[in-house]
Amino acid sequence: MAELDEHVVAPVRLKIMTTLTAVSEAEFATVRDALDVSDSVLSKHLGALEAAAYLRRHKGAHRGRRTTWISLTPQGRKALTAHIAALRALIDGID
Amino acid sequence: MESKPDRPTAKESAAALLDAETARATLADGIATPSWFFSSIGVAIAVQIATTAAGLGDDAPWVLAAGLAVFAAVAGVQLARFRQVNGVWLGGLASRVVLGTATPGSVSYTIALGAAIWAAYGDRWWLVALWAAVGGAAYTLSGRRWMRTYRVDPAAHARGESLAWLAVMAAAAIGGLAVLVRNA
Repeated sequence: MAELDEHVVAPVRLKIMTTLTAVSEAEFATVRDALDVSDSVLSKHLGALEAAAYLRRHKGAHRGRRTTWISLTPQGRKALTAHIAALRALIDGID
Repeated sequence: MESKPDRPTAKESAAALLDAETARATLADGIATPSWFFSSIGVAIAVQIATTAAGLGDDAPWVLAAGLAVFAAVAGVQLARFRQVNGVWLGGLASRVVLGTATPGSVSYTIALGAAIWAAYGDRWWLVALWAAVGGAAYTLSGRRWMRTYRVDPAAHARGESLAWLAVMAAAAIGGLAVLVRNA
């Protein structure tokens, strides 16, 4: 059976990564609003996912102010796909 | 150091997955195109088809270049507006809709451009205008269709082609135009 990914197992991280699959990249406030979390919670989980090389952040501008743009890495996409497969197996009771 | 998280139950896993997919769908549904997005791209393509045909038919490469510049300007402005309005970037929108790599857009564009060039060589300018309009309208419809497809399955359509593939396509298109100009 596929293993759950310890970097993605927290529901908020699964939500961040799944949401990012809908775009090539997204601005920090857009992700925060879509997930309905605070700046500090989002920053903390983004930092952890970036440390796992599952996403990358770069500085940019949006509506005239400096902000951070976030995107999944190929490694992050692969990890998410494997994690979701493991979740589905768990849900289906396959062990 | 973070402790290893507990293994979720099947019920928790189902809830977490549903929540994550709902958040993704909400983001995708909230993405809006700026006003006149698809129409302006369609009009720019119609201008580009007409000017390419006219430039080749009349042996006036500057007309062809002007049409390409109009398209590049409209595409650049609309993509910048899209990014500003939504706070996201969709590679699929840029490549499939604006650069026309979606199958309906690329096929209709190729047919319309070929027919317009054929009409221009025969000095049938009303046919050039007609094929340019048809090509632009088809491009617009193809773009709207892609947006509906994206909303159904955003993860499958968000990214579009790689930059390397787009560079190869652009080089092939420029090479093809250069051959046509040289032989005009």
